[in-house]
Amino acid sequence: MIDLKHLSIAYGETSVVKDVTLHVPEGGSFALVGESGSGKSTILKAIAGQITNWTGRIRLGDHDLQHGRDPALIRLCQMVFQDPFGSLHPRKTVDTILSEPLSIHGIGDQNQRVLETLDAVGLARKFRFRLPHQLSGGQRQRVAIARALMLDPPVMLLDEPTSALDVSVQAEVLNLLKTLREERGLTYFLVTHDLPVVSFLCDNLGILRQGELVELATVDQLKQQQFSSDYGNELLSKSF
Amino acid sequence: MSLLTIENLRVSFPGEQGAVEVVKGISFELGRERLGIVGESGSGKSMTGRSILRLIDKPGKVTADRMEFDGLDLTTLSNKRMRALRGARMSMVMQDPKFSLNPVMRIGDQIAEVLSFHSKLNARERRKRVLESLEAVRITDPERVYKLYPHEVSGGMGQRIMIAMMVILEPDLMIADEPTSALDVSVQAQVLDIMDDLVTRTGMGLIIISHDLNMVARYCDRILVMFNGEIVESCQASELANAQHPYTQGLLASTPTIDEHRDRLPVLDRTQLGGV
Repeated sequence: MIDLKHLSIAYGETSVVKDVTLHVPEGGSFALVGESGSGKSTILKAIAGQITNWTGRIRLGDHDLQHGRDPALIRLCQMVFQDPFGSLHPRKTVDTILSEPLSIHGIGDQNQRVLETLDAVGLARKFRFRLPHQLSGGQRQRVAIARALMLDPPVMLLDEPTSALDVSVQAEVLNLLKTLREERGLTYFLVTHDLPVVSFLCDNLGILRQGELVELATVDQLKQQQFSSDYGNELLSKSF
Repeated sequence: MSLLTIENLRVSFPGEQGAVEVVKGISFELGRERLGIVGESGSGKSMTGRSILRLIDKPGKVTADRMEFDGLDLTTLSNKRMRALRGARMSMVMQDPKFSLNPVMRIGDQIAEVLSFHSKLNARERRKRVLESLEAVRITDPERVYKLYPHEVSGGMGQRIMIAMMVILEPDLMIADEPTSALDVSVQAQVLDIMDDLVTRTGMGLIIISHDLNMVARYCDRILVMFNGEIVESCQASELANAQHPYTQGLLASTPTIDEHRDRLPVLDRTQLGGV
């Protein structure tokens, strides 16, 4: 579903992502892990179309990604950001946030779709006309996930979706993400530094270091703590 | 003898429907040990830390039956005496170095400020002490870092600089409020190791306030778990797995592990706990 071939990204002289090739099958769940500055978020932004100066090939399903504005991409993948306190417009109600993508893409039956999506992410319907500041962190992240689901994209890009949340709330959101993936056959591309989250949510992972893909591993390798690269094992030893 | 004794500490803020109590009468003692205070947002853990340093301003209200630090009564101490205490004998490391360092002041000068306030050292001695303290937090080229501005250093280094600033006068008590949550995993361990090292070497008391149970279990001797402004569990770090209170058990269960085989994570039932 997601196919990256020789993807490289540079800002001026500095090369941030170096020749990354990887493949995520349809319905798969892939995690990119690494320290800050390793380029994992940059790759995510390139797939989301936020960065345009990449070289190589990015393919989502049958669609080859264009450099520049790409309306078809928006229907294909949507992103959930790290911090639900920063990613929701503070003066728009949940209803406006959720129906906006529908209006932009000229999709009708908005009322029904908003209600269905609220149910899908486990938010009570009474929250529909609330503003973000009236919601807790976990509820906000549910709104962000609902917004990403509005256009029914086959691919979800998740940028540290639970690291800003409390432990008990994190469990709820992780369960939700797992359920949604099973129900809708979504493909997940997750960026995180939290290895236990990868263990719970993903099938495969890639370890990134200074822009280079050091290792591609299965989640079983992670569970048995047996990476083949030194750097992978170093990361393991540092995590709690 | 214990370093810090807290009895029946209460912190409240006025609200529309009367005062809201965020810390509801907690008591604990701290010796020269590492104590972890764990809880989720809104549990009152940061407010506990701040009230020890008397950093809660009006309209917040702090009361306690007893609040003693090394024989000094913190509830009645004058503001002037309190100022002399902060930084010199007890200090606090904040969560995010980006917001806690003065952005328009060179790092060395910022650390030296502590010395000019609390000691009578001259400029050259101050500089020497600052360089030593930077070295103590494993900054390899202190001369260069001395001259940098906060925006020129990484988060991990920023946090080490904060720690250098807090330990330069070798306080008896250090309170670290979420010292690593703004940091990358790979540097978290390093920052904690440095703090751990300083604690063992100087024998100070350390309170780590965090939401991360596993981290605290690894770096502390004793753990207090807070929920809704109350201490619901107090145990040795090694005994955490045998925690009694349903909230602690719930928290432990809901944390994913590296070797995760559960299909769904158990979720805390807040209604059962009588919480929010």
